[in-house]
Amino acid sequence: MLMKATVNGTDVKTAGITLHDLQKRYGSAMAVDDVSLSVSPGEFISLLGPSGSGKTTTLMMIAGFEMPDSGRVLLGDKDITRLPPHRRELGVIFQNYALFPHMTVAENVAYPLRMRRMAKAEIETRVHRILDQVHLGALASRYPHQMSGGQQQRVAIARALVFDPPVLLLDEPLGALDKKLREHLRNEIKTLHKEVGKTMIYVTHDQDEALAMSDRVAVMHEGRIRQVSAPKDIYRRPADLFVAGFVGEVNLIPVKLKSGIVHGPAGERLPSPPWQDADRDATLCVRPEHLRLEASAGSSGGIQGRISGMTFVGDATVLEFRSETGLQLRSKVLNVSDHSMEVGDPCVASWVANDATILTD
Amino acid sequence: MAGTMSSLAIKGAQSSRPWPTPWAWLLLPGSVFLVVLFVVPLTGLLLLAFGMPNWTLANFSRIGDTPVYLTVMRNTLEISVTVTALAFVLSYPIAYALTTGGMVLRTFLLIGVVLPYFTSTLARTFAWIVLLGRNGVVNQFLLELGWVSQPIPLLYNRFGVILGMTHIVMPMMILPMYTVMSSIDPKLMRAARANGASPLAAFLTIFLPLSLPGLIAGVLLVFIYCLGFYITPALMGGLSDVMITMAISSQILEQLNWNFGAALSVVLLLAVLSLLWIGSRFFPIEQLLGFSDGKLGSSVTRRQIGAKMLMRIGSAANALDRWFPSMRGRGVPILAGFLAVLLLLPVLIVAYLSFSASSYFVFPLPGYSLRNYEAFLFDTLWVRATFTSIRIALMAVAMATALGAMLAFGLSRGTMPGRGTMIALLLSPIIMPTVIVAVATYFLLARWGLQGTEFGLALGHAVHAIPYVVVIVVANLRDLNPSYERAARSLGAGPWATMRTIVAPLVLPALIVASFFAFLASFDDVVYVLFLGIGKITTLPMRMWEGIRQDISPTIAAVATLQMLFATIVIVVGTLLRRQKKT
Repeated sequence: MLMKATVNGTDVKTAGITLHDLQKRYGSAMAVDDVSLSVSPGEFISLLGPSGSGKTTTLMMIAGFEMPDSGRVLLGDKDITRLPPHRRELGVIFQNYALFPHMTVAENVAYPLRMRRMAKAEIETRVHRILDQVHLGALASRYPHQMSGGQQQRVAIARALVFDPPVLLLDEPLGALDKKLREHLRNEIKTLHKEVGKTMIYVTHDQDEALAMSDRVAVMHEGRIRQVSAPKDIYRRPADLFVAGFVGEVNLIPVKLKSGIVHGPAGERLPSPPWQDADRDATLCVRPEHLRLEASAGSSGGIQGRISGMTFVGDATVLEFRSETGLQLRSKVLNVSDHSMEVGDPCVASWVANDATILTD
Repeated sequence: MAGTMSSLAIKGAQSSRPWPTPWAWLLLPGSVFLVVLFVVPLTGLLLLAFGMPNWTLANFSRIGDTPVYLTVMRNTLEISVTVTALAFVLSYPIAYALTTGGMVLRTFLLIGVVLPYFTSTLARTFAWIVLLGRNGVVNQFLLELGWVSQPIPLLYNRFGVILGMTHIVMPMMILPMYTVMSSIDPKLMRAARANGASPLAAFLTIFLPLSLPGLIAGVLLVFIYCLGFYITPALMGGLSDVMITMAISSQILEQLNWNFGAALSVVLLLAVLSLLWIGSRFFPIEQLLGFSDGKLGSSVTRRQIGAKMLMRIGSAANALDRWFPSMRGRGVPILAGFLAVLLLLPVLIVAYLSFSASSYFVFPLPGYSLRNYEAFLFDTLWVRATFTSIRIALMAVAMATALGAMLAFGLSRGTMPGRGTMIALLLSPIIMPTVIVAVATYFLLARWGLQGTEFGLALGHAVHAIPYVVVIVVANLRDLNPSYERAARSLGAGPWATMRTIVAPLVLPALIVASFFAFLASFDDVVYVLFLGIGKITTLPMRMWEGIRQDISPTIAAVATLQMLFATIVIVVGTLLRRQKKT
């Protein structure tokens, strides 16, 4: 059922999306494999993954451009799996926006309303209202190719919102733009989400984008969802090696778990969160900004080695560390004060126990 | 001429520098060649039509006063309009499926379009004559099935002309349509669907208006081609289907009334130029011939009225969608596949019949034999004609490839004023009706005493082949990044070494392909030989032409099949060379 939420004192039409065991196969390749996901009304969720991970195919199945081989797509509690795209009432914002080049801004925005055979006067009022909302009222008679990337995005947003869909699907809208503009438009989309309160499903391969914008992030790889969590948890508590490596930089340390204690490559004791399970080999993940290089070991242990390189990157310095067993690690230190380390200095790599994650896959 | 055509000019992307750069000097030899052998003759034609040196309008008033010529004009218009309309209706589904279909369908359609396109008009016309004749394949079938009690007349009447011409011009209609359609972002259709448009409404409001320039260009090019079409109407038409080209040829070759023939040519020329002018208001035509400096369809604002109407229809169609079940999109691919089979069928049937053991065209074959091929290979007249053709084609290829390659380099690398005019001049020999150019060249060669010589004919063929060479080489040079050459220079290669080690290997495949197509353009030609050869030169197509007019000997089927085979080889070699470059 469609929900009414209240944002900024006005009622908003919105609805959740539920995916049940979606599968899609191209030839012998599994493009999407058993994807289940429940998006609550008004939530901003990102599908994050490298190309070929199935994120776009998943979005296209929600939009109706691809038919799943099995599984169901629900809008609220209505099954829309077999509904053709033009009857789904979902707003879609495409990569590069797909604005119709032969129509003006106003005609582009009026398009969904004309397809719904709305009365002319009504169309005009609605188009005016939404164009004013995105600050494009003055440019209504321009053509898309006469506008900047940022303006084009706002036209695309206006066109997708003008028929008041409960859900907005965004397919890498910032994919082809340069870095500065991306960051600016990213904020614009985030603000928009707060203003309109619609459910948004955002596909991207850019981890910064996903982390910065979303309520939750679903990381996809090889057709499967590997983890769905809030951005902070994706970063700090990755569920597996893929997620750990794909989102942000990470140091991977091969370890042995023996009776609740974590042993490093040389058998040394390493700081780690408590561990209850049976003895086994595992991987310890530590982010570079959590890795500390100090002259002597603390009480919770660490890895002995030397500083093997140092790179100044402006706000921070990246220190490269090489252990006695040959393990290479990176540490990132903010340049808030001068540090006295030099290349070749012996040191101990350690971290706060709770900043590390143990992965056993 | 050139002045009128300049309205089609592309604005040079880097035309800010007014003075020619050194590269631009490469344009000189080719332009001089084209001015002398294309612009001068056409101007001469104009002067001759006005009776130079005794100026008069009598030739033109005679056209207006003689009912016969008014009938000829009417025939020309009626046939051209019918053929263009038919070709449009039949081509659209093919072009559409070629853009949107799956890999297998697209490959098949491409073969169905490209193979006939490069098979000589004469061979294809011959195929239709074999099919439609009184004892032709179609009549044999109809009699067999008992649908008719005696052979029905399908040939030497308007039906035959229209059928044959439509078949021959269809690839010309499909290719520009396809060029424009394939530049439409498929995401736009998805965007329309996401915004509530049914498949039909999305087609009507998005795809159709965006493909409009391609449709206009296709229709225009085909209509112009029909107006100046000679071979097929002359061979397949009846006595009452005389078109303007046939009247021109009869005045020049039989009546020897040059002034009047020139006047008729000028009428045709003016018709073509005004059509081009109208067309250029919608779309820069040279982009469809492969010359796209800028982005296709960047000037979209002019097509407002048509698009508005389609929007209304599309919006109405969207309401219908609620009552009609969807077609699941199967209809168009099936129709397109069927039409492509029809495109291929005539030539394939002729190839099949060429292996007949009988001296008549009987379907199915009574037995297989190579007798037609033997008849061709052991007949001194046929063999001599083949060698004549090869000699002339080689001369034409040498001239066209050298001049065309220089022109291509000059256009790609050089900057100079009047670049747009230059491009228009370069491309117009393909757009202008061959009959007009051949007549005009004939007058010029006659002045120099070069009429009836193989060299004179090769000059004419070179003018016709240069545009193909330029288009192919320019397309290739776009991939040849100047930074490769700079890299070579920085690594110690001199200008000559750079040319030898970097530029030549990268451009050579394109030059080979270009010279193959130039060869084909000369090797398949009949019209130039008819006018420039003055009965003294018998090339292979000329001998086929005479053979078709006298008796329809099965030997011609063997020759046509060999021509087709040659065209196939050219296409395959071209494709392979292009693919090799990519890997």
